[in-house]
Amino acid sequence: MTLTRILHGLGRAYVGLVLAFLYLPILIMAVMSFNASPFYQLPIDWSTDWFSALAGNRSLISAAWNSLYIAAITTAIATTLGTAAALALHRYQFRGKKLLQALLFPPIAIPWLITGTAMLIFFFAVGIGRGLHAILLGHVALALPYVIVVVSARLRTFAPELEEAALSLGASQWQATRRVPLPWIAPGVIAGALFAFAVSFDQFVVSYFLSAPGQTTLPVQIYAAIRKGFTPEINAVSTIIIVLSMTLMLLTARFFRFGGEK
Amino acid sequence: MSTRMMNRTIGRGLLAATLLATFCAGVAQAEEIRVLNWKGYGTDESWATEAFEAKTGYTVVHDYFNSEQEMLTKLRTNPGTYDVVMINAAFTGQALEEGLIQPIDTGKITNAADLTPEMAQSELLNTGGKTYGVPWVWGLTSLAINDKAFDQKPDSIEVMWDPAHKGKVVLRDDALEAVQFGAIATGQDINDIKDLGAVKEKLASLMPQIRTFWSSENDWNQMVAAGQIDVGTYWSGAASRAKVNFNLPVSFVIPKEGAVGWLDGLSIPAGSKNVDAALAFIDYMISPEFYVEWVNKVGAPVSANQKAVAGLDESAFNRAVLGDPAVAERVVFQKPVSDENREKYLQLWQELKAANQ
Amino acid sequence: MADSQPSAGRGQLRPALPLLLPAYLWLTVAVFLPLSAMVFFSFVTDLPMAGRDWAATLEHYAAFFQTDLYGRLLLRSLRLGLEVTLYCTIIGFPCAYVLAKVLKGRSREAVFLLVILPFWSNGLVRVFSWAVFLRGGGVVDLALNAVLPFEVSIDLMYSYPAVVIGLVHSYLPYMVLTCYLTLQAIDDSLIEAARSLGASRLTVLRRLIVPLAMPGLAAGAVLIFVPVVGSFMEPRILGGRSGTFYGTVIEDQFVAVFNWPLGAALSFILLAVVLAVLALAAPVLRRHGA
Repeated sequence: MTLTRILHGLGRAYVGLVLAFLYLPILIMAVMSFNASPFYQLPIDWSTDWFSALAGNRSLISAAWNSLYIAAITTAIATTLGTAAALALHRYQFRGKKLLQALLFPPIAIPWLITGTAMLIFFFAVGIGRGLHAILLGHVALALPYVIVVVSARLRTFAPELEEAALSLGASQWQATRRVPLPWIAPGVIAGALFAFAVSFDQFVVSYFLSAPGQTTLPVQIYAAIRKGFTPEINAVSTIIIVLSMTLMLLTARFFRFGGEK
Repeated sequence: MSTRMMNRTIGRGLLAATLLATFCAGVAQAEEIRVLNWKGYGTDESWATEAFEAKTGYTVVHDYFNSEQEMLTKLRTNPGTYDVVMINAAFTGQALEEGLIQPIDTGKITNAADLTPEMAQSELLNTGGKTYGVPWVWGLTSLAINDKAFDQKPDSIEVMWDPAHKGKVVLRDDALEAVQFGAIATGQDINDIKDLGAVKEKLASLMPQIRTFWSSENDWNQMVAAGQIDVGTYWSGAASRAKVNFNLPVSFVIPKEGAVGWLDGLSIPAGSKNVDAALAFIDYMISPEFYVEWVNKVGAPVSANQKAVAGLDESAFNRAVLGDPAVAERVVFQKPVSDENREKYLQLWQELKAANQ
Repeated sequence: MADSQPSAGRGQLRPALPLLLPAYLWLTVAVFLPLSAMVFFSFVTDLPMAGRDWAATLEHYAAFFQTDLYGRLLLRSLRLGLEVTLYCTIIGFPCAYVLAKVLKGRSREAVFLLVILPFWSNGLVRVFSWAVFLRGGGVVDLALNAVLPFEVSIDLMYSYPAVVIGLVHSYLPYMVLTCYLTLQAIDDSLIEAARSLGASRLTVLRRLIVPLAMPGLAAGAVLIFVPVVGSFMEPRILGGRSGTFYGTVIEDQFVAVFNWPLGAALSFILLAVVLAVLALAAPVLRRHGA
C-alpha cells in the first residue's frame, strides 16, 4: 500500500511540474506587463504604466470585448451542433459515414490561413461579405471538428448495453438517449465547449480576413501590432483576460461537476 | 441536468443570434472616413485623428494590413469600403491596373504645391496625365549598427560579412528586400537584376553570419537593447525612432555601394463615397503641422513635402542625413516588380533559408 | 468498438440526419465550398479575376516535384509533427492519468481547470513570452547565474528545439484533455479486479489502461499532429534561421506574393499526405485499442 502512496505522491508532484511548465510563459507575460521597459529588458522596472495606457486604448479594449462576445456565441453554437453530430456518428451506421468522418480533417489539417483566405473569397463572391456574421460563420466552422472529435472520443468509451437495457425496459428512444448517454458525455461536451472557446478566442487569421473595418478582435489587433511594434499593453490586456478567465472558471467550478461520476 | 444544459445552450444560442442580428443591422455611421494602412504608421495616431475630426467633423476609422499583398486583397474584396489607402509606390501601378484606385484631383489638395517635384511627378504615381497617388513619406532601407559594437561607422556593405560580427547580424525576412540587398552587394541595379545566381551565392555566404530574421521594428529594437546584434538591415525611419524615442544606441549607415529607397503614397480607392473628406485627410497628412508633430512625438520617415521637412529641427536625422545630396546619389528607388520576378525571388529566398538552417 | 448497435444496417441515415445536418451544413457553407474554390484555384494558372488571363494547368502540383525544396520542408514539418505529438503524449498521458485516477473531488476540478486555462491566453503572446524566456540574457540566464558560481549563457532562441518547446507548450492541453476524458471513463473496479488477480502495475497499464484509453490518445494525437505539420507562426517566431517549414512557405504564397494557386496546391498536397499518414497509423492504433 505504501508503494501506492509513494506513487500517488510522485504523481501529484509530476502534475505540479507540468502545471509549472504550462504557466511559465503566462507568468512571464503577467510579470512583464508590470515592466516599464518596452523591450522586456531585465532587470525589471516595476510600474503600472501599461495598464494605464491600456485603459486609454479604446480600440484594444473594444477588440477584447468583441473577442469574448464572439467566442461565447461560437461556443454555444459549435457545442450544440457538434455534440449532435457526434451523437449521430456514434449511434448510427450508414453508408458514407467514413466519408463524413474524414471530412472533419480538412478544417484542422489545412492551415487556417488557407481556409481563411478561401472563406474571404467565397463570402465575397456569394454576397455574405465581411463583418461579425462572417466571423461567426468562420469561427463556428473551425471549432466544429474539434467539438466532434472530442465528444466522439468520450462517446467511444460508452457501453451501448446500458442504452439497450433502457430501451428493452420500455423507455422511448428519446428517454433512453436523454437519461443514459447524455450525462455520460457531459465531460466530453464541456471539454468540446472549452476547445471551441479557445479556438474562437485565439483565432486571428479568419478574423482579420473577415472583420469589417472598425470592428476587430483582440488577436487581430495583436497580430497587427507585432509588425510595427509589440507594446506591452498587449501583455497587460492578456494578463487581465487570464485573471478574469481564472475567476470565471473557479466560479463555474462551484456549480458544475466535471467529474461526470455516475 | 444535462437536458437543462442542452436547453439552456440552445436558448442562449438563439438569444445571442438575435442580439447579433440587431448589432449588425445598425453599424454604418455617417460622417466617417475609412483608412487602410499599417498599424502604428502615422495615420492612426490619436492626436492626429482627433485634430482632423475637430477640423472637418469626420471621424477616422482604421483597418490594417500586414503586407502589401493583404492590402491588395482587402481592396479587391471590399469595393467602396475604404476612402484612403496607403500604397507603397512600387505597388500603385498594380492597384491601378486592377482598377482598385481612382484618379486624384491634386488641385483640391492645398499642400500639394509644396511636394518635392520629382516625387509628385513620379511615373510610379502618375499615368496618362492623371495622378493616382500622392507622395506621402519616403525612406531608405539600408544598414543600422549597434553603436557599442563599432569604434567608427563602417562605410561598406561588406561589414555584414565581417567574421568579427558572426552571429550578430540580422536580415529582414522578406524575399524582395533580401534579393535587392544582395543586388547592391553584387553591384547590380536593384530594379534590373541580371545575375540572380550571383545574388544567391552572395546571400548564401551571408547566412552563417545571421543570428535571425527580423520582421518588425520591435524585434530589432529588442535585440539591440539586449546587446545581441551588431549590425543589420533596417529602415531609416525605424532607426531614427530607435535612437530618438527609445534611446537605443543605433546609428543609420548608408554604405558606398548604395541603398534602397522607397516611397509611400496615399491613394483613394475606387468607389469611395467620401472623396472630398479623403482629399482633406490626405491634405492633412502631408501638411507640415502633422508631420512635425509626428516626427517629434513618434519618429517618422522623410516627408515628401519639402516645406514639412524644412519645419524640422536643423539637426533632425531626416533633415541632416537624408537631405544630403551626396547620399541621395547612392540611393536607388524601388520600381514595380513583376509577379513573375517576385515569385522567382521568393523561391530563391526560401531555398536559401531552407538550405542554411 | 462501441460504435454500433447490434441491428446496424446501411440505411440508418434517416434518423441520423437531423442530428448531422446542422453541423455538416454549416461546415459545407463555411468550409467545404470555399475550399472547393481553392481546389479549383490550384488547377489554374492565375486567379479568375479582373484583367487576368487564366487557364487550366497542373503546373502548381508539378512544382512540388520540380525542386526538392517543398519535399524536404514537408519532411521537416512531418518530423516536427511527430516529435511534438510524441512529447505531448509522453508528458500528457501520465498527467491525465494522475488527474483522472489519483486526484479527487475539488482538487481534481481545480487542476483540470488550470490545465485548460492556458488555452485561453493568446497564442501569439504566449510565443513571445517564450522568446523572452529562452533568449540569452533572459530569465533562464538570470536564474542560473544567481545559483551557479560561473557565468553561463543559455540561448535556446532561434533554433529547432525552441520551436518544439513552443509547440509542445501550446498543444499539451489537447492531449491531457482527451486522455483525461477516456481515462476517467475507466471503471476503477476493473483495475482493482485486475490487481487482485495478481497483475503487476505495469501489466495493468499495458493491457488494460492504455487500450481502454486509446480513443483519447488517438484523438489527442490527431488534434496535435495535424495542425503542427502545417504550423507557421511558432516556427517563424521561435525558429529564426531554423524556422523555415512547409507551413511557412505556404504562408509566403499568400502574404509575400500573390500566388494563391501554388499556395492552394501545396496545402492540398499537405492534406493528402497528412491523411495518408493517419490512414497508415489507424490500423496500428486499432490493434492496440480495446
